[in-house]
Amino acid sequence: MRVWEFCRRNLKETYRDPLALGFLLAFPLLFMLLFGAIFSGDTTPNYPIGVIDKDGTPVSQAFVDEALAEVPVLEVATYENAASAMEDLKLGNISAYIIIPHGFSEQISRSWQDEEANITLEITYDESDFMATGQIISTINAVTRSFAHIEVPITINANPIHIETEITYIDFIAPGIIIFGLLILIPTSARIIVHDKEKGFLSRLLTTPLRPVEFISGYSLCLVVIAIAQIIIFILVGWLLGMDIVGSIGLAFLVFLLTALCSIGIGMVVAALSKTENQAEPLCWMLCPWLCSPGAGFP
Amino acid sequence: MKDDLAIETFSLTKIFNGLVAVDGIELGIKKGQLFALLGPNGAGKTTTINMLCCLLKPTGGTATIMGYDISQHPFKVKEIIGVSPQETIVSEHLNCGENLALIGRIHGINARELKVRSQQLLETMGLADRAKDQVRKFSGGMKRRLNIMMALIHNPQVLFLDEPTLGLDPQARRAIWEYIIRLKGEKTILLTTHYMDEADFLADRIGIMDKGKIVALGTSTELKISILEKHTIIIYAWNLTQKVINEMKGRYEEVEVIDGTMMISDKQLDFKEIVDRLHSYGAIVRSAYIQEPTLDDVFLHMTGKELRE
Repeated sequence: MRVWEFCRRNLKETYRDPLALGFLLAFPLLFMLLFGAIFSGDTTPNYPIGVIDKDGTPVSQAFVDEALAEVPVLEVATYENAASAMEDLKLGNISAYIIIPHGFSEQISRSWQDEEANITLEITYDESDFMATGQIISTINAVTRSFAHIEVPITINANPIHIETEITYIDFIAPGIIIFGLLILIPTSARIIVHDKEKGFLSRLLTTPLRPVEFISGYSLCLVVIAIAQIIIFILVGWLLGMDIVGSIGLAFLVFLLTALCSIGIGMVVAALSKTENQAEPLCWMLCPWLCSPGAGFP
Repeated sequence: MKDDLAIETFSLTKIFNGLVAVDGIELGIKKGQLFALLGPNGAGKTTTINMLCCLLKPTGGTATIMGYDISQHPFKVKEIIGVSPQETIVSEHLNCGENLALIGRIHGINARELKVRSQQLLETMGLADRAKDQVRKFSGGMKRRLNIMMALIHNPQVLFLDEPTLGLDPQARRAIWEYIIRLKGEKTILLTTHYMDEADFLADRIGIMDKGKIVALGTSTELKISILEKHTIIIYAWNLTQKVINEMKGRYEEVEVIDGTMMISDKQLDFKEIVDRLHSYGAIVRSAYIQEPTLDDVFLHMTGKELRE
């Protein structure tokens, strides 16, 4: 009961503070909208890629002319041999080239017939073009998988999770921005607590019968409520912008929630270590690079 | 006799990194008494209060509040005290009522009582019409009043007011004084201040604190009398002839006349005797009063320095 009172007070302090709200919601949402706007529709960056069809069957032809050609981010050009494609790659005319090997159609057919298939595509790309490479590989991966599954008899849909019909930029960028939004919980939770510490509100409450465990749970509860609201809003906006959630939305929520809890915990540690808001801030930013390193942000 | 005491300290000591902030003070404050700790900034008043309300652990010694030891039963103590800190500490984005409710509910007051008490407090403190406004829009004086209200909402038995009128204009100070006077007798109040007039006006008993020690203890009058070596009477009179002056100079230790004002100082002075004597010599006394020492004089006497910075 006392915990809830304290938690409610913390929530009010946060949602009535435009700055805090801005940091928690508006900032990441703005990013998402901005990136969504920049990289959607007509302005989608196009990656020219080359294709060498060594298989030369109607199936591989269909893969090139229909599946690959339909992907909005790719501009497909066909080459006779690897040497000429390599020349263009070196000149920067194409970002990557794919070699469709012999036996590609057989493997695809096997896959269509629900048999075990070993589809391989050889992709040669320019390593230095990090952004393009990442997207091309993931796009081709998705396209190939969907091609291998798409015209199958119904029985093959046993594993529909892997059918990714469309990869857009928002799919790539949204999870990263959501994580970024949740990472903002680190400075926010540190700020909320350190603010009370600095202004003496914590001391004032320490003269009341509020127990230490109630302080910690009061703050955590408040921050968890904020985190849940954040996740729901982010997923909703991402979805409105066209982000697909492949698999369970509950699991996605859980992953985000765990990230949020981690942020809150780190924020609280920062709050415990610092005496003033000015101390807390650089401590938070010092922690941020580590958090990005394990690939939590962008896959 | 012991049951009489609401606050009792036993050589309460606090040392910060070798600096002795509170130096083994022994205090006994009776139930219902308003006790003022008077001293300059840095005398150790706030440190003493912080130890008594369980914010700081004493380095040595201990204290009891209504019989509960501050070191052994801090949560028992916290249940029965109300603290108004020296800094104005309120939750800025909450409104007045919500601030009161927060402290009230933490103390486990039920909704109905809370409503009645908040209303009462808001009215007596003159904030009833601003109860729904967020505190950050308040003036310093209003926040200060809320600061005190937050210490009172749960009807504590013992009240700690740390510099309750610090930085307020005279009007707002007066309003807070009047409210504190109304609480006298009902609650045990420990108040710290560096305003002498505040201690003089409010307190039943005064402890003068300097460099972590209580250097003098007693009622305002007791303290003033204790330093009195000489009494001074100031007389405004007509017809103060040289003869009268010489006559008076012969009788009293010090006599001085400036523009029809006669000042007489001596170890013993009889008000009536002096006035009668003046009349008998033909002087006409318009007014006469005995000049009393102020607490400032007491402070100066005890510590050798001025109280005000």
